[in-house]
This record gives sequence, C-alpha cells and structure tokens, in this order.
Amino acid sequence: MVGIIQEQHPDRARLFMQWKQMGWPIMIDALNELEVAVVPITMFIDQHGIIRALRPPRRRITEAVQRFVDRRFDDPAQPATRPDPPIDSPIGSPTNLPSAPPTAPSKAPDLARLRAAARDGASCDWRTLGQALVNWGGSGAIDEAITAFETALGLEPEAKSGPTNFRLGVAYRRRYDSARRRPEDFQQAVDHWSRALDSNPNQYIWRRRIQQYGPRLAKPYPFYDWVEQARVQIRARGETPYELAVEPGAAELARPQRRFSNASDEASEPDPQRRIDSDRRGFILAETVVVPAAVKAGSAVRVHLIFRPNDAIDAHWNNEAEPMQMWVAHPPGWLIDRHLHTIPNADTAVSRETRAIEFELVVPADAAAGTIMVGAYALYNVCEGVDGTCLYRRQEIRIPVKIGGS
Amino acid sequence: MTDHRTARQIALVAALGSASIAAADPPRFEVGSRFPQIVLPSLTDGRPMSLADFRGHKVILQVFASW
Repeated sequence: MVGIIQEQHPDRARLFMQWKQMGWPIMIDALNELEVAVVPITMFIDQHGIIRALRPPRRRITEAVQRFVDRRFDDPAQPATRPDPPIDSPIGSPTNLPSAPPTAPSKAPDLARLRAAARDGASCDWRTLGQALVNWGGSGAIDEAITAFETALGLEPEAKSGPTNFRLGVAYRRRYDSARRRPEDFQQAVDHWSRALDSNPNQYIWRRRIQQYGPRLAKPYPFYDWVEQARVQIRARGETPYELAVEPGAAELARPQRRFSNASDEASEPDPQRRIDSDRRGFILAETVVVPAAVKAGSAVRVHLIFRPNDAIDAHWNNEAEPMQMWVAHPPGWLIDRHLHTIPNADTAVSRETRAIEFELVVPADAAAGTIMVGAYALYNVCEGVDGTCLYRRQEIRIPVKIGGS
Repeated sequence: MTDHRTARQIALVAALGSASIAAADPPRFEVGSRFPQIVLPSLTDGRPMSLADFRGHKVILQVFASW
C-alpha cells in the first residue's frame, strides 16, 4: 500500500498519518501534480507500473485485492506469453511473475538544469521549475518559485492556466505561512485558486482549497475539526502528537451552514463618535483577505482580518487594559453574522502574537458587479517596546469585496 | 490475512469521503496505461519518492486527503 495525499500543509498530513497509524509510504502532492480532480481514488498498479484497476468496488474490496494479488501480469515491454486477463475475471491459478528488479531510488530534479531550461523555455519549463522549487528548494526558494509560476502564467493562455494558477496559489500560501511572508500573500493565494477554478469548475481539489477558507454557506464539511480529536487519541496512546507549524484557523474549523445567521442588532458600536485617537504610527499592521476572490450577488464571503504588531517599532499588545475590539459596519441591504468582535487578552502583561478575526457577509441578490468597500475599525491597547509607553488606539479598515464571481 | 488488513486500510481511506463525487479522472489514469513518472516528497522525511521505487512489486495506491 502506498499513498499520495493532496494537502496544502505537510505537517497536518503527518499528524493525520500518525493519528490513523498509517505505516505505509505516503507522498505529499501539495501542488496537485497528479492532476486528480477528486479524492479518494484507489488504483491497483502492477509490478511493471501498469494501472490494472481504477476505483475498485468498495463493497467487494477484499475480493478485488485478492484477485489483484493472485493475478499474473506480463511485462508489456516483453513479448506476452498470453494476454493479460481482466482484473475482474474470476480468480484463477496463475501465479505472479518473478518480481522485476527495482529501479534506482528516485532523485530530486536538478534545479540548476531546470533553471537553465526555463531561461529560454516555454511555460511548461517555468512551471516545472516552480514545482521543483516548492518541493525541493526549501523555504528560501519560495520567492523564486512564485516568480517561476508567474512567468509560466505570462506565457500560457488563460484557458489552460488552471494548474499553474492553482500551484501559484499554493506557493503564495506556503510563503504566507513562512518567515518570508508578505502581507498580500494570502489574498494572492485565494485569487489564484479562484482563477484556477474559473478555468475548470469541475476540479474539486481546487474548489475545496477555496472552501477551506471560505464562508460556511459554501462549506461541504468542517475541514480540520479532526485535529483536536486526533491529538486527544494520540496522547491517549502514550504518543506525542506531531506539532503543527500553522494551527487551523476559524474558517478551517467552522461547520457548514445551510441558512445564514444574521447578526442581532443588540451589539452597540464601541466608538461611534471616533473619539479614540487613530494609530498614526502604525503600531499594528492589518491585513484583509476576502474569500472567494469574487462573490456572486446573493452569495456569502468570508473576511479574514489579521493583525500583527509592527516589528519596526517594537510594538506589543498591552494585555493589562480592556481587550481588543473590532466593529464592522455592513453596507445597506447586506447581511452580516456579527458586528462586534472581541479578542481576549493574552495571559502576559504584553505580547506580540498575531490576532485574527473572521466574519461573513451576504451580498444582496440585486447587487451590481463591481467592488464595494466595507468599513470596519479596530480598537486596541498597544505598547512601544516591553517597558515603553502604552496607548489606546483606533485603526480604520477598508475591506474590498469584489462582486461578480461566477 | 494480509489482504483483509489491506482491504480495511483501503476502506479507512475510502471512508474519508472528502471530495469524492462522480467526476472524470484525468485521461492519464486509465486501466492499462502506465502510471505517470512523478517524483514527490515523502511525507515522513521529505526524500524524493515515486511509484517507480516500488517497481517489481504490486502496489495498491491510495490518493486521498485528510479533510
């Protein structure tokens, strides 16, 4: 048994493997190089590398495995002594051919050769380089991988750019989760995944990547709610759960919703008169990400707001004052699941953690195509340095929601 | 006995459901065709791995996701 897992985050796949006690070899295909549109898929592959069964019937899987194990398959490169019987024919007596000698172990591609080939090459050469850099180049090669995919995109027609757009999205999200992150990386990932899906709406691996971060109305199931259960069961076995570099966010844990739950009007705005001074020095850097990249009129979007203390001025959250709040004012006719958000303080006097707030909006069914700016503001207590001056500040946030998705 | 255990493991992965819907697989996956030569990182240690590493052995391949 061998596995290939379709997953953005390899560490989550490793935790899953540990939880399910999968002892068999598993490869990670974060870029969907296999170009499967759905999962799971089972294949029986003979000792010569020939696919002998695809999606064997689940109800009779034991018999199917037995037939596959018992069946003799001739090497297609050699003259056949007799034609191969179909895999679903009755189990017969033929025994396996002697095993062919294994080939040399696989090697990572030669990056220098791929760079040379891409220099004057076609889009496929640049895409191959980008893939190799993501898989084998380490975190330091992610900028070059993004450039390679973007160059590939510039050389290929939009109609055929689905795989490149998807892989570029994976690379952007990979950089977003690394120390090399740039503020726009997450939205870039969502934008490219959306472009990929536009080119092939039947590609469900791509669709799921957007739904993972998207609104609950569009979710088929919670994506990573298994993580906590896995940790509990792994610990119960006396093992230490594999550590995740990036914990699943609220969108990745959220349960699907069939009807939008509109906010009650009970919450009151915390600073309607704008009396709190603006964060002119930029103590806190805010990023906005809207999923999907463009929304159909009448549909929902999920907004991710990410707040990071500014390294350049050694900003810290002040946790000895009132907790951070954010107010969202939705445009007339829109629905919103919550206006007022509060983030509890950390346990220490000051801290530098990234804080995230997510909420959802429903665009009116008669909304015209275009970009609408949704207004919000955050109120927070910050300190300059660990022992520096602490202030209460307000930051205006404008969230661009693009209407007109397909 | 091994085959019953294998069948259970297949069932485990198949039960994940995930994005399983009625949709066509890419034409590269056809019964009778050779599995494409794709080298991917091993999940456990990141070393290069491909189906060719198992040449000479029959392989039950599971393509799946955790979500």
